[in-house]
Amino acid sequence: MAKITFIEHSGERLVVNIPVGWTVMQGAVQNGVEGIEAECGGSCACATCHCYVDEAFVDALPAPSETEEAMLECTAAERLPNSRLSCQLKVSEALDGLVLRLPEAQS
Amino acid sequence: MFRFDPYSPAIDADPFPFYRTLRDEHPCFWSEEANMWVLSRYDDIVTALNDWETYSSAKGNLMDEMPNRAGNTLGTTDPPRHDRLRGIVQFAFTRKAVEGLVEPVRASANRALDAVQGEKTFDFVNDFSSKVTVDVLFGLFNLPRENERMVRDKAVLMVQSDPRTRQKGPEHLAAFQWMSDYAKSLVELRTREPGDDLITALIQAEVNGEKLAEREVQMTVTTLIMAGIESLSGFLTMFAYNLADHADARRRLAANPALIPDAVEESLRFNTSAQRFRRCLQKDVTLHGQTMRAGDFVCLAYGSGNRDERRFPDADRYDIDRKPKGHLGFGGGVHACLGTAFARLASRVAFEELLKRVPEFERVQEQLPWMPSTTFRSPTRLELAAAWA
Ligand code: HEM
Ligand code: FES
Repeated sequence: MAKITFIEHSGERLVVNIPVGWTVMQGAVQNGVEGIEAECGGSCACATCHCYVDEAFVDALPAPSETEEAMLECTAAERLPNSRLSCQLKVSEALDGLVLRLPEAQS
Repeated sequence: MFRFDPYSPAIDADPFPFYRTLRDEHPCFWSEEANMWVLSRYDDIVTALNDWETYSSAKGNLMDEMPNRAGNTLGTTDPPRHDRLRGIVQFAFTRKAVEGLVEPVRASANRALDAVQGEKTFDFVNDFSSKVTVDVLFGLFNLPRENERMVRDKAVLMVQSDPRTRQKGPEHLAAFQWMSDYAKSLVELRTREPGDDLITALIQAEVNGEKLAEREVQMTVTTLIMAGIESLSGFLTMFAYNLADHADARRRLAANPALIPDAVEESLRFNTSAQRFRRCLQKDVTLHGQTMRAGDFVCLAYGSGNRDERRFPDADRYDIDRKPKGHLGFGGGVHACLGTAFARLASRVAFEELLKRVPEFERVQEQLPWMPSTTFRSPTRLELAAAWA
């Protein structure tokens, strides 16, 4: 399990325990995090699971794949240097304590 | 001894008592009749959905699979190939992309209602849900407006199984063959005359610098038509059935249509038309004291996970205020339904129009004729006694 904090655009904070091996998006959807839509179910084909990774964790994450890179160009909210697609982030113990901010709009 | 036979008419009619026994007493159950394991608890199903590497769809996802589908469609491939295919079609199904369908669905619903206006009773399946579904999907896929009726009949037939032989009968396979040939002719048409539509996009798309094989395009089109028609008209029918039986809920929706989306979600949880799908294990898994072997098939009983008290308190109660986050009505994981945005929109708009014109209706038949299917569940006729506004 890793404890992950989602900060909705409204400012509301949700702390969720996600099993190792799941994606961050899967944990968010299971726990009713409003700001993640995930229309494509995690196929890296919709960019509606966009999140901003807390600066302290950016370097701890593996770099985005080519497909994620391409999809990050299609986000509804502005793409920032710390933008990631949460369906491409696999949960490991190393992500315990991760903080993610959610954008104003996903689609 | 407890048995779970997804071919039996008793399960078509009411699977829920069986699901309860499965969840409480046999959470990892080997069904001899289905020749596969059955997972029925919410948490176990979600764990499987989030792990496609173990629970593979590449050997088919329908409880009774059809020839040539395994390995060739969205629902029957695994990542990374699945994700590339999904990337090609997703654009046509995003919330934004389907927004433009609000008025076509509204118009279609009203045409269907015009045709039965003032009738004391009508068959919701024939006169409304299947008509509207086919009409709107033909628009979405930009299909030539011939054969509408035929396409609908074949789509419904191809997902059924013969309750006696416990297999697909000749008529079901013939319907599938008809649909494959129909899809083939559509692909040929769009190869000759490309348009601004999904089939053209599939033909022209490249996955890893390679065009999709003709058979993949054809099977994907077949699946989209089948998945679209059967699931959406089945769901609309189940929604009407729920509102016929829950007059309080229906009256609240008629008075305040803004509540319709919540009622749609609760219906997807309560008795979704897509009840059971299957996966194939890629390695041995031990669960609740049973060892399932690599190569075994596993049924994910979404309809049961949706009634699991461990996740949804008072799960057998239809409660439109519930807002059931994380329900399995559209499945989940990488194979979560492609048509969710479209299905939600179409259900909302169709029922806005229906409830405006027919605010009061009730069920005529005591016993419903349930479709014989191991995967889907909905009645083939739903006669409603209507009080027109
Ligand atoms: C309310 C109506 C609908 C319901 C209840 C429904 C339900 C489902 C479910 C449960 C799955 C998961 C299958 C699995 O786990 O293997 C699924 C997948 C799928 N659905 Fe739907 N569906 C609906 C409408 C539609 C529509 C309108 C379309 C298309 C026009 C569609 C296209 C698909 C496709 C292509 C897949 C496979 C996706 C993939 O594997 O990536 N569905 N649907
Ligand atoms: S869920 Fe679609 S890209 Fe992440």
